[in-house]
Amino acid sequence: MLFALGLASECLLAAPAPSSKLPSTLEVAIRGKVTDPNDEGLPGVSIRLKDTNVGTTTDSEGNFQITVPGEDKTLIFSFIGYQTQEVKIAKQTTLRIKLDPDQRQLNEVVVIGYGSQERKNLIGSISKIDPAETKSIPVGSFDAQLQGKVSGVQISSNTGVPGEAVSVRVRGATSINADNSPLYVVDGVFINSNSMQTIGTGGKATSPIADINPADIESIEVLKDAEATALYGSRGANGVILISTKRGKFNQKPKVSFNLSQGWAKAERLWELTTGPEHATLVNEWWINTGQDTPSLNRTFANRPFRPASEGGRGLPEEQQTYDRLGEIFRTASLKNYDISLAGGTNTTKYYIGGGFTSQESILRPITFDRASFKVNLDQKINDKVQIGVSNTFSRTFRNQARAGDGPAGGLLQAALHTPTYLSPYNEQGVLVGRAGFDNVTLLLEHYDVKSVSLRYIGNLYAEAELLPNLRFRSSWGIDYNNYDESEYWNTFLISGSPDGLATSSIGQASTWLNEQTLTYRKKIGANHSFGVLIGNTLQSDVETRTASSGRGFANNSFRLISSAATTTGSSGWSKKNLASFFSRVDYNYAGKYLVDFSIRADGSSSFGAANQWGYFPSVGAAWRIKQENFLKDVNLISDLKLRASYGTTGNQNGLGSFAALGLWSGGSSYQDQPGIAPQQLANPNLQWERTNQFNLGLNAAFLQERVSFELNLYHKYTSNGLLQLNLPATTGFGSYRSNAAEISNRGFELEINTVNLKKRDFSWSTSFNVARNINKIEKLDYPLYYGSRDLILMQQGQPLYSFWVYKELYVDPETGNSVYEDVNKDGRITVEDRQIVGSVWPKFFGGITNNLTYKGFDANVFFSYQYGNHVYNHNRFFGEGGGARDAARIIFANNNNRWQKPGDVTDVPRPDGVNVNNYRDGGSRWLEDASFLRLRSLSIGYTIPTRKIPGLRVYFVGTNLFTLTKYTGLDPESSASSSQNQPGIDLGTPPQPQGIQFGVNLTL
Amino acid sequence: MKNSRYILSLSLLLLISSCESFLDVQPRSSISDEQTIVDRSSAETAIRGVYAALRGHYSTSFQSIGYLSGDNIQWTGSQSQVQEFINHRVNAENSTVSGVWNSIFVTLNRANHVLDKVPSITDPLLTESLKNQIVGEAYFIRALCYFDLARTWGGAPILTRPTLSPNDNRGVARSTQAEAYEQSLRDLDAAELLLPETTNRFRATRKTVWALKARYFLYRSNWAKAEEFASKIIADAANYRLNKPYNSFFANDARGTQESVFELYYSINETNGHRGQWQPQQNGGTRQWAPNDALVALLNNPEIGGTRSTLVARDNQNRWYGNLYYRSPATDPTFVIRIAELYLIRSEARAQLAKLPEALADLNAVRDRAGLAASPASTQNEVLLAIENERRVEFALEPHRWFDLVRTGRAGAVLSISDPNRYLMPVPAEQILIDPILQQNPSY
Repeated sequence: MLFALGLASECLLAAPAPSSKLPSTLEVAIRGKVTDPNDEGLPGVSIRLKDTNVGTTTDSEGNFQITVPGEDKTLIFSFIGYQTQEVKIAKQTTLRIKLDPDQRQLNEVVVIGYGSQERKNLIGSISKIDPAETKSIPVGSFDAQLQGKVSGVQISSNTGVPGEAVSVRVRGATSINADNSPLYVVDGVFINSNSMQTIGTGGKATSPIADINPADIESIEVLKDAEATALYGSRGANGVILISTKRGKFNQKPKVSFNLSQGWAKAERLWELTTGPEHATLVNEWWINTGQDTPSLNRTFANRPFRPASEGGRGLPEEQQTYDRLGEIFRTASLKNYDISLAGGTNTTKYYIGGGFTSQESILRPITFDRASFKVNLDQKINDKVQIGVSNTFSRTFRNQARAGDGPAGGLLQAALHTPTYLSPYNEQGVLVGRAGFDNVTLLLEHYDVKSVSLRYIGNLYAEAELLPNLRFRSSWGIDYNNYDESEYWNTFLISGSPDGLATSSIGQASTWLNEQTLTYRKKIGANHSFGVLIGNTLQSDVETRTASSGRGFANNSFRLISSAATTTGSSGWSKKNLASFFSRVDYNYAGKYLVDFSIRADGSSSFGAANQWGYFPSVGAAWRIKQENFLKDVNLISDLKLRASYGTTGNQNGLGSFAALGLWSGGSSYQDQPGIAPQQLANPNLQWERTNQFNLGLNAAFLQERVSFELNLYHKYTSNGLLQLNLPATTGFGSYRSNAAEISNRGFELEINTVNLKKRDFSWSTSFNVARNINKIEKLDYPLYYGSRDLILMQQGQPLYSFWVYKELYVDPETGNSVYEDVNKDGRITVEDRQIVGSVWPKFFGGITNNLTYKGFDANVFFSYQYGNHVYNHNRFFGEGGGARDAARIIFANNNNRWQKPGDVTDVPRPDGVNVNNYRDGGSRWLEDASFLRLRSLSIGYTIPTRKIPGLRVYFVGTNLFTLTKYTGLDPESSASSSQNQPGIDLGTPPQPQGIQFGVNLTL
Repeated sequence: MKNSRYILSLSLLLLISSCESFLDVQPRSSISDEQTIVDRSSAETAIRGVYAALRGHYSTSFQSIGYLSGDNIQWTGSQSQVQEFINHRVNAENSTVSGVWNSIFVTLNRANHVLDKVPSITDPLLTESLKNQIVGEAYFIRALCYFDLARTWGGAPILTRPTLSPNDNRGVARSTQAEAYEQSLRDLDAAELLLPETTNRFRATRKTVWALKARYFLYRSNWAKAEEFASKIIADAANYRLNKPYNSFFANDARGTQESVFELYYSINETNGHRGQWQPQQNGGTRQWAPNDALVALLNNPEIGGTRSTLVARDNQNRWYGNLYYRSPATDPTFVIRIAELYLIRSEARAQLAKLPEALADLNAVRDRAGLAASPASTQNEVLLAIENERRVEFALEPHRWFDLVRTGRAGAVLSISDPNRYLMPVPAEQILIDPILQQNPSY
């Protein structure tokens, strides 16, 4: 019994059966060695006598020995990743077999829900990504690195701070109040992907996905359609991302890999600001303009703010100084990365040990991201039928954090960007002071003290046994444990710490345990019928606890711990969710031509109302491999043609509170330091899952021996019972209650094209291109919902989620210098009734293009990502282009120098006339910008040094974001101030993603 | 391998049978709403929850409507909802207006829960007098809610039952302003009967009811009643008096002084965010709004402000800021009713009743405490104007100026508001969308 049970991926492959005793007529013993094209012995190659169950595998050197009955037999050599070879045996008894790597994608093994499948037999829509190409992009988490790599998966980095939450949307967004992020599964463990951060950093949040070292990942599979995701039931609606970490191989010599890299990053450009004299000129102009408009204000040239100091003014404009603050907070950041791993195996054990350390500075002082990780994966065969194994990932992520988003106290970009340039950082006494209501940048950088440490363990223990021939049982226990410790200390130099210091500390723990059993039966009947049955169950429990405390009143700035504070407070929280599930899949394959499967999962969740605790999520899929039909079999031009269709239901309960269905009263409403109670939420016993029905139609085709291949998917997702904080009239005393009230649809297409353009001995060139379009629409929402600063985002029935709600500015009247807004209701006034939807955050198209080139020892990878047709509200400009009306309270951007000054001026910057009125209206469309972009996301060039002594020595260069083509006038078209899902696309005080260069060495021994 | 088959089927069986309890997870920081107010202890905690709700809007938002809409405060930040009050161009989308509207109804719902459940509790530990006190306090707070609804918006839905399901307390039309005031008076009358005649500056007693009644009748132009109820408190000189200097009721972390008739209590664990809007950055605030030049001049004028100049101070960039809410940790009380107000209520009532010497005596008591000479006013109109101006500086950073000018009909003249419909705040636009039976006020 030689079932290789270690990798789930091997489960569904035809594996060699026992070499049992056969009638021995004229037995011939054959010895030999199997090697790769470089003459390296290949261990673990399966060798089988054709049309029998007789077989063996190669040892760690690639040697084998097999006894075959008689002559004129055929041996089949097969090995994952290599082309299968059939060798006819005449009379020889020693064989030398050289296997060629299999570059045909059709035989590639793809991990699917609770199993694996060869690509050619896939029914669902699944993208497989090799993380090796992107793992050098310095963004902290592997999901951010995948931007542009997976068709139909839109990934936005939001910020240039490494390790912060990114937005990942698989085929659009299905929900308003439940989380739209996909489900992440690491080696079978459903991991937490919700940020544990509680400290306010201006709407930003750290990403728990950044705890995982991308270097430990072997492959990433993104499950997109219902056929692929329905086995994940109530959590599959937003797609599933399966992460398989690296493991050893049986009979493999120990292999040590080192990877070291070092690099630097900086902002491509910074905001252009007015100088002190320009600022003063604009303020004077605004002053005089408003005096002309409203004579009662008594604002004239004579009493303009910037008049000679001798007249009581602040000095003439030309006398003003210019102080640079931006230069103080941005830096050239250093990036370091070290990985080491050891992989190998004996004939019963295989192992992978990996260690990594990453240290990334943000280009914004003082933010840093450091991750140390350690990984051990082990698999052990107990006997022919039983195998056990473990996966362990430990990591410690340390962050120096700072507020790189919205908000005044502690806001880095507010202090540096929003403070007028003419204001000195010193007051009259020569003391550093914050201006315009913000902190002083110098003091802020010197005294910033916000830190967090995330300790993470993700582990899994499994046992797998063959109970009967073809019937396999697997049981596993998984754990995801995250301890998240964060602390802040604000001393008296900073706003938050005034007047006598503030310290906070919070420790959160998220722990998940998961127990899973599966039974798999797979059988081939005759030549043409093959079927499989899977049944299984899962129990999962998620507990989140938090203890927080804070202290105020420190004797002086040397004391930093809460224990030395004069007054302290504490709080704690606890929540728990349980989920019990049963699932099954049946699949049938007729002659490799017709494939169908059916799956269903039943989920019971403690979060839902008693009336709806159980939900059922079925799916059905079918594929037709047209290429296998007789009429195509001999058409050499076409190497593959497959039509696929699937339909099914998945659910979403992410982001829903643990006790959302219950009617509750809570404590905490104390008065006079004595306990008080109050109603917290109304019961909704009918609360249930969101249900997303998805239809997918797919076509795979390949031509010219797979030199050209493409995959096209059309999908339609319709989500009903959408979880919504349904607003209640305030007269009830409640703001809202959880209900299933929204309906949202997403439809679109995904196209992926892979070509091998050139394949010569020394030179090869291949290209992958993907493009996707998703059309999102709110199908049912009883009343509109407003989100974001100044209600910039509107959700309304019939419109896409995250539409921008603005006053549409048509032009600046050259005669008056006034902005002309569209008067939607034609009442002659511009009122809130005239706000309208103009654009949304959704791109019309997005995707990526990768080119891989090799020439002798050189390799190059050129990777572009792009988006077209999406909008970003450049809120920095709303504050920075106030035309002087905000006077000493805000910066003025250089663009305001182009304002209208006299009749006949043709410009798009109106006459300065006030703030939030007329020309500089809150919510004006002037600041809503097209954020389409084409970005050279990464360019890497490597050279493998051709030396016999050290076979695997490669040096490389990686450039990140080397150029970006965009019309967006902010620093980064991907910026979003908030990590909150309903407020995307508003750029305020967000550092851009940096340009980076890195040099590195790979060494494999 | 047979063993594993048994284990498998056994564990599956176990799983199915234990699923029900596995899926029953109850919270630890909350309790089911089916068992809430049932005995003495829960009745006491529930009434505290009503006070906690009152703090929700009395901390900052409701007060800011009262003072921002006057003529004392300037706006320094970037949020336009603040500026709308100062410019008297409030939109129905104004987030402060909707925040206060929502918070008042949260408070009302909590009060209605107490009023609905406490009277029927049978617990020997819940004595009749304690029960009366708790119910009386709930009536008082509901009275204050309707009083504030009436003076801020005019009419409001009259709701006297708690919300038990999403279908309760919706679809109820707004009453008239008079009806809302009448509901307030009904509740005050009920509270007066139930509450003990004791002195408690943080919780309602019969005396607190009298003080609010004095204000109520002043707003309703019932001068005799206003004078009568104000006198009841002023007469209680052992407990309520105008202490010198002016700032003795708030400076040096003072709380619960004799000045105070009703103030809301805050502590380290129940903080008051109000200071953040006033204090400058050097003191950890945002100085989102600040006393305007006119008010700074008035307060610093020794003939007008007197010792009340202590309400403003200058920061390290020579900018003025309001300093009534300043404590760190943020435990500043919310002063709801002060004895100075009762003097000025009685002064105004008496002036209206043409009892000018008595009116001036009350006015001068307040002026004297601020270190000022007696008012030179002599005619009835002069006295009334003197009272109006005195209230402007005496309550410079408290929420009176706007409501005073509106109730006396002087807002048009003083604040140049041409449309009297603008004396009332708009019903929040989103509330009308959610519950269309709510009628918007005219001119919005």
